[in-house]
Amino acid sequence: MSGYSVTEPSKRQKWIAGVLVITYALVTLMPLLWVIATGFKSPADSIAYPPKVVFHPSLEGYVNLFTTQTRITPDMKATLTPPQTWYERIVRNKGMMIAGPSRYGQRFLNSIIIGFGSTFFSVFLGTLAAYAFSRFRVPIKDDLLFFILSTRMMPPVAVAIPIFLMYRQLGLSDTHLGMILLYTAVNLSLSVWLLKGFIDEIPQEYEEAALIDGYTRFQAFYKVVLPQAATGIASTAIFCLIFAWNEYAFAVLLTSGTAQTAPPFIPTIIGVGGQDWPAVAAGATIFLLPVMIFTIMLRKHLLRGITFGAVRK
Amino acid sequence: MSHFVNGLLRMRRGAWEMLASILIALGVFMLMQPFWMPAFTYSFTITLIGTVMFIIVSHFPE
Amino acid sequence: MANNAIDRIARSTPSGFAKRVRGLSDRTIAWIFVGPSILLLLAINIFPLIWTIRLSFTNFRVNRMNAPIKFIGLRNYERILSDPDIWQTMQATAHFLLWTIFFQVLIGFTLAYLINKKFKGNDLWTTIIVLPMMLSPAVVGNFWTFLYQPQIGLFNYVVGFFSGADPSSFSMIGSVHLAPWAIVIVDTWMWTPFVMLICLAGLRSIPDSIYEAAEIDRASKWRQFWTLTVPMVLPFLMLAVLFRGIENFKMFDLVVQLTGGGPGSITTLTSIDLKREAFEKWRTGYASAYAVILFVTVFGLASIYVKALNKVKER
Repeated sequence: MSGYSVTEPSKRQKWIAGVLVITYALVTLMPLLWVIATGFKSPADSIAYPPKVVFHPSLEGYVNLFTTQTRITPDMKATLTPPQTWYERIVRNKGMMIAGPSRYGQRFLNSIIIGFGSTFFSVFLGTLAAYAFSRFRVPIKDDLLFFILSTRMMPPVAVAIPIFLMYRQLGLSDTHLGMILLYTAVNLSLSVWLLKGFIDEIPQEYEEAALIDGYTRFQAFYKVVLPQAATGIASTAIFCLIFAWNEYAFAVLLTSGTAQTAPPFIPTIIGVGGQDWPAVAAGATIFLLPVMIFTIMLRKHLLRGITFGAVRK
Repeated sequence: MSHFVNGLLRMRRGAWEMLASILIALGVFMLMQPFWMPAFTYSFTITLIGTVMFIIVSHFPE
Repeated sequence: MANNAIDRIARSTPSGFAKRVRGLSDRTIAWIFVGPSILLLLAINIFPLIWTIRLSFTNFRVNRMNAPIKFIGLRNYERILSDPDIWQTMQATAHFLLWTIFFQVLIGFTLAYLINKKFKGNDLWTTIIVLPMMLSPAVVGNFWTFLYQPQIGLFNYVVGFFSGADPSSFSMIGSVHLAPWAIVIVDTWMWTPFVMLICLAGLRSIPDSIYEAAEIDRASKWRQFWTLTVPMVLPFLMLAVLFRGIENFKMFDLVVQLTGGGPGSITTLTSIDLKREAFEKWRTGYASAYAVILFVTVFGLASIYVKALNKVKER
């Protein structure tokens, strides 16, 4: 940063670039902010014309998302106790009562179980394989690596046909185990390629020193390489988690109830009397927010993740 | 160009991989073009040949 | 604690012997480490793939399990590759693929170029721009149907506001003319940051000294851009284009949620068509042949992709 440089853009250039990029960023952010805002609108406000920017915030969408409701008939009214909680009050105000929890909570839990389960396995297997690919002379290494990568590129709908048949034979269809195995296999390619990149960057001298000190290969891996690769392993895990969390095609084709994750479920949220947009928006918000937070955490490694570790910046 | 032909004759990886890539690209183009039905019909054959070729020639020496 | 004991034993082993044991075990360890991954992929990817290829030569249907399975040779392939409807879905896919790549490269490269001017706070804004890319495509498709509602949707309102058209006079998803563009817009919104990030990496990989040399040669900025910047970024751009091409060739989740392939079959991309054949009409043998065609195409493109990847890696 010293003195004059021909490659340093002028003040005016920077200013113009800044204005253009910030404009784009604000425009691109609008749809997201709009969906988050819609989650806090009342159903009437959500379909108002012109679209309402200032509105009275309401949690009705979130209450509708997590509960199923029935209409209160006049003869029920007499027997009802007054509402105890804030969410019951919201529901009662529109002449309904809570009949029970909705299935969203269950679907969300499925997403968590399958997401974390598959992430654990794919990172565990991926770390071992990546270490071997990085350090040992594995026969037909390049072919294996290409084969591993190509499995991820395959169209999910095409892959789902034989998996569907196979899972039906094995009794794995619509089970958590089946989905965890499938997502582990799909994520394995990403985790092997990414982690190989991270492990390649750890100087081999560290392990050689440890080996000379009398460590076994396994100890060197466990005590020297793993701690060094911790950041890489963590960001790989987040990438795998985001993929499993977002995945739709396999989930919609291979699950229907017990093991269904949130993405196929959110579009099916329909309230009483037409599409309940605040509830859909609330469902999307809760689902997307963790990913946004993870993305911000990952920003330094984002490029690696999306190019399978090829571009490192 | 003569460099490319030379590479093909001497079974070098680079030239053959280029040829296979061109075949694959041609196959994909034929698959998705809106102009001529017979090209669509034979697109898969071309892509298949290109892909198999690519797998084989990627083992040729540099 | 136990590790200390292992350490002591390891240290007391004669070095020659230890070396031999290690030399032997390296190979074994390699297989122990790689083995489970390969086995899993064999079970979940390769075995099903072989099964698909086998089924593609039959008339098997899942919903008629008891019907005898007949081998019909290449009949399925012949029927698919001479079916004008499937040709039509390929063209719909091509329209989607070409325009999304065009817009994403145009906007993505411009943004990367601007961000590379290193104005104050560019990191923060880059992170904000990147957000849509990591979201679930199905959920994104779903909430864009809300933004695309005539009358109440934000998109129609904004377009109406700037163009003076009545927001309820057009429906992005309902109209045969607009639906193909509706999916292009959403995909561009979602994936432009991807192209941008890769271009940015390309721009940042160009050493300043090259520009300094060009400056000494008195090359104009315009000339520098076309003879230095563009060729240096090109391998990165190739990578981004190939990856987006493969991804959008198999596009399913976003579009299925957004338009469901409609109106009519105007946005029925290949994967959506395949899903109907396999999971609605249950023509498993036929769908398997269809799947094999897609497999081979993607596999071919993936091999070119890996070649491009290695080219970038060398930089």
